[in-house]
Formats: sequence, structure tokens, C-alpha cells
Amino acid sequence: MSSVMVTGACTPIGERLVRSLVADAQVSHVLAVGLEPPESALPFSHPSRLTYLQTDLGKPRQIRRLLFGRARDLYVETVFHTALYSSARGSGRRVRALNVESTRELLRLSQRHPTIHRFIYRSHGEVYQIQADLPVQIDEAHPLNLAPGAPQWVRDRVEADLTVCTQMGISRLGIVVLRCAECLAAGTGSQLYDYLESPVCFRPLGYNPMLNVLTISDTVRAMEHAFKANVQGVFNIAGKDTLPLSSAILKWGRMGIPLPGQWLTPIYRLRRRIADHEFSYGMNRRRFTYSGILDDTRARRILHFKPEHGVDWPAPISQAWGPGWKG
Amino acid sequence: MPFPPSVAASIARRLLSSEQYDRAKRLSYVDAGHGFDAFGLHPAFVAMGIGITAFLYERYFRVVSHGAENIPAEGPVILAANHSGTIPIDGMMLWADVVRNATPPRVPRPVADHFVPMLPFLGSLFARGGMVGGSRGNVRQLLQAGNLLMIFPEGVPGVGKLFKERYQLQFWRVGHAELAIRYRTPVVPVAIIGAEEQMPQLGKIERLSVFGIPYLPITPTPLPLPVRYHIHYGTPIPLQRQYRLEDADDPDAVAEAAGRVKAAVKELIEQGLAQREGVFR
Repeated sequence: MSSVMVTGACTPIGERLVRSLVADAQVSHVLAVGLEPPESALPFSHPSRLTYLQTDLGKPRQIRRLLFGRARDLYVETVFHTALYSSARGSGRRVRALNVESTRELLRLSQRHPTIHRFIYRSHGEVYQIQADLPVQIDEAHPLNLAPGAPQWVRDRVEADLTVCTQMGISRLGIVVLRCAECLAAGTGSQLYDYLESPVCFRPLGYNPMLNVLTISDTVRAMEHAFKANVQGVFNIAGKDTLPLSSAILKWGRMGIPLPGQWLTPIYRLRRRIADHEFSYGMNRRRFTYSGILDDTRARRILHFKPEHGVDWPAPISQAWGPGWKG
Repeated sequence: MPFPPSVAASIARRLLSSEQYDRAKRLSYVDAGHGFDAFGLHPAFVAMGIGITAFLYERYFRVVSHGAENIPAEGPVILAANHSGTIPIDGMMLWADVVRNATPPRVPRPVADHFVPMLPFLGSLFARGGMVGGSRGNVRQLLQAGNLLMIFPEGVPGVGKLFKERYQLQFWRVGHAELAIRYRTPVVPVAIIGAEEQMPQLGKIERLSVFGIPYLPITPTPLPLPVRYHIHYGTPIPLQRQYRLEDADDPDAVAEAAGRVKAAVKELIEQGLAQREGVFR
């Protein structure tokens, strides 16, 4: 029995993780941390097993108060750090403070915390570089996207990931970094989800890369597996759905129109400005051109995690396409 | 590809005999969830590929296959072949020959140069048929999963060899031998006879490069000549038994192993040239 702390508790993933941990017999208490005020934070409560605390992780003083206040009082042993500024439109110091500095500070303070001894960080598959001459299946040793021209959305994720990874093995904490595939769900900051929200999806002419997407359920399960396995390391977490971009568009019930790649950046920039959308083609250009699938062999072997829940595609296309290959 | 697998299956059904179609359905591969493998292969596109290469394979180049029984029935294996022809149709014909003649049916995974996945349309089409870009990671993952790889150790310089250099093996890269030793894989030497005369190359313009294609060839014929292809498969070379795992990190051992493969391909080429009755026969 141990107490745990979950940051980003008001996000769809954080909320599901909190719900799942509250129901877990091995967990005595869950300290849920989020930006929302307590009355609108979580749609459920469990006074004896759940405490919610409104905290702005972008402010170091609040992190210190959190860790050496309620977290110490509750004997928190494990920190699940999932908080992240999800919007790709945000930039600047405040966004970086949440994405990178809060991670650094949480980790730094956790190392000298009297009760915390595990740190589980939810990282992202977007930290990897995708290009034609790199392997399609991305293992944990794959080059990271350190391009100087990368947007802050990517740079922050890479920096936060590396901040945690550099402490692995030299810290007294047991550190687990889960580099999760894109979670195709609303409110998760998924670029693909926002892309698929349009009735018409433009994609690069002549290219149809393979994608892999994860569900919230499997993301939460992966974190639970990491919690229960007494290991540390970096693990790719892939989803159950691996398919070409064109199939994802069709299965989402959208019309895919191939256009020359050069046209897509201005088209989606315009869409972003006019309709207040999140998707940026410039940010996704490479993975919309070349395949990049997370190789989760290590997670399967060491964490015993295997994705079980496929995306609930709104428009299964097998019937519309006729008998198909197997028929 | 702009069309779904069911369309590819429908094209395949029209182009293939029922026997060929049933054979294509028996191809084994790892379905990553929606009928595709992680690299983009889909068996319906493989079947379609058999259909759309049928004219070239059966009528135009009239391919004759020799020794396909040397292709191991299962487990990882590397086919190492000579490469030529100005346009790499030899790769397509070898792919078609393996799909048609390997027993039981196996999907060959051609390992292509890095620029091939960058080619619009063709990159995706070839990936659906099994092609992968030639990165170490791709090759490692495929061998560990027990796939049959097609490697051309001469690479692009082989395709670009001049007519006067035909059937002379160019610089023979050693990566295939290292991979075979490291991942305990036999190598089947393959000689492709005919391709080296299909499109005589007299020179090349190296400054013209589109999508990473390294040069523009100068050739007297705008289309490949209807030479007859003979594809010869040699006895598998058990590099995995001849070398220890540690030898994969020994450059001398790797070079020696690659030399064995090269010598075997050269010998097969000589045998094939001696056996054939003419370039078009």
C-alpha cells in the first residue's frame, strides 16, 4: 500500500489515471494535482482515498509547498507527472515553465524528498525524429528531434524528456519515462485529433505514411504497469492501431484529399487563424510524409504492457470497402 | 496509396489466376492491426503487385527461375544479388520471382536505398509490396522477425554501371554479411542474368538529381530492351554457422564473409552466362 501523486489530474488522461488509482487496492491514497479549482476539478470524489489540490506547477514556490506539504503529510511515494501545456498554439515563458521547468523542479525536489522514491514521467513519441533514412520502427535509441528550427511544442517535450532521462541511474529515485504514441482523443493535445476534426482532410500528394495511435485507456494502463514493475528506464508505449494516414482519415469518417505538400502549410495556417484550430502542418510535415511507428518491444518485455484497446473509429470502413482482402 | 486494400484485392482478382490468388492469400506477415504490417506492407497490394508485374515477368522479360528451392522455407534469410539495368527492374523481377516461386509462399522485403521512400507515389506503393528503406534499424527488425530480405550489395553504383562493365561486380558492400552474422541468418547468393543488357548505359549526368536519385543516365534506348531474364539462386551460405556472433564486430571477418558471398554470386553469374543461349533467349 502506498500513496501516489498525479499531476495534470484535470486532463482526460490524468483524470482516468486518478480514477483508476483510486480503485487500485495497492494504492492507499491519491493526491491529485491540477490547475482547476476544486469544485470543478474532478467529476468524482472519494474522501478517504483521494485529495485534490489546486496547484500551478509553473510556479516553483507552489511546487515546493505541494511536495513538502500535502505530499509529505500523505507519505507520497510515487509521482506520476503528466501535466503539460497541451495546446500547440501556446508559446513563451509561461508555457515553458509548465512543460520544462516544472518537470525539472519536481524532479529536483523529489530527489531530496523524505518519502518519494519513484518518478514516472509521461513523455511523448513526438520527441523522436522522423525522416526517410531512419528506421520506420522507432526504438528507444532512435535519434531525438533536436532540430533548432523545431517549434516550442516539440522543443519543450524533448527538453523535459531529456531532463528526466539525465537523472536516470544517478538519482536515488526510480525513474520511468514512458514515451507514448499520440493519444487520439479530445483534450489530450493530439494534433491528429484536431486534424481529423475537419470534414475534409488534406494530405500530402504521393505519400501515405504509417501511423500508430494510442487510446486513453492504454495510456493509463501503461502508467499502471510502470507503477507496478519495479524497474526504471525509458519505454516506448505504442497503441493497438497501426495504419496508413489515408485509412485513419477514412475510418474517422472524413474525406481525404491529396494535395501537393507545399500547399498544406499555408492551408492549415489559414485554418488555424480563421477557425482557431490546433493542427499545424509544418509541425507534422515529416510524419505525414514518412512512416514512424513506436517499437514497444521493451515495454512488452519489461513492463509486460501490451496495448489492448483500439481506437473507437467512428466509421469502420471494412464494410464500405466491400469484401476486402480476406473476403 | 490513394486506394484501399479492397481495391488492390479486386485488381489482383482480375489479374491473377485463381491458383496465383490463393497462393498470395497464403503469404505470411505480421498484421499490425488493420491489415498492414508496421512497415506498410499489405498482402492485397502484394497480390496486386504480382498481377501488375505479370506482363513484364511473363511476356516482356520472360523470366526463367533456376533453383528457387534454395530459398529457405522459413526463418530469416538474406538474398544477395547483383544489381544493374539503369532502371532497377531487376529488383522488381527478383521480387516477383520469389513471390511466385518460393515454397511455401514468402514475401520478400527489398532493402532499398534511402531515397526510395522519398519518391512520391512509388515510395508508398513499394512499401505496400514489402520494400523498406535501407537503415540498419529496419533491417535488424525485419531479420529478428524472421523475414526474407532482398539486398543488392552493389547498391546504386550497380544500377548505374556502364555497359562495358556489365556482369562485373562493383564495389561490394559488406553490411549484408555483418547482418547475417549478427542475426544468425543464412545468405542465398542470387545471379540475375539479362538485366545488365536491358538498357545499355553509355554515361551519366551526375548534376541532375531529383528526389535524391543521384544521376540521370545516358542510354541509347528510352525503354528497356526485351532481354530474357534468368534468375539463379545458389545454395545458402550458412554464415551464421561459419562465423561466431562476436565476428559481426570484427571488420576483417565481416569483409571475408562478404567476399564469400561475392565469390558465390560471381560464380553463379558465370554459370548463368555460360548456360544461356543468347541475350534475348
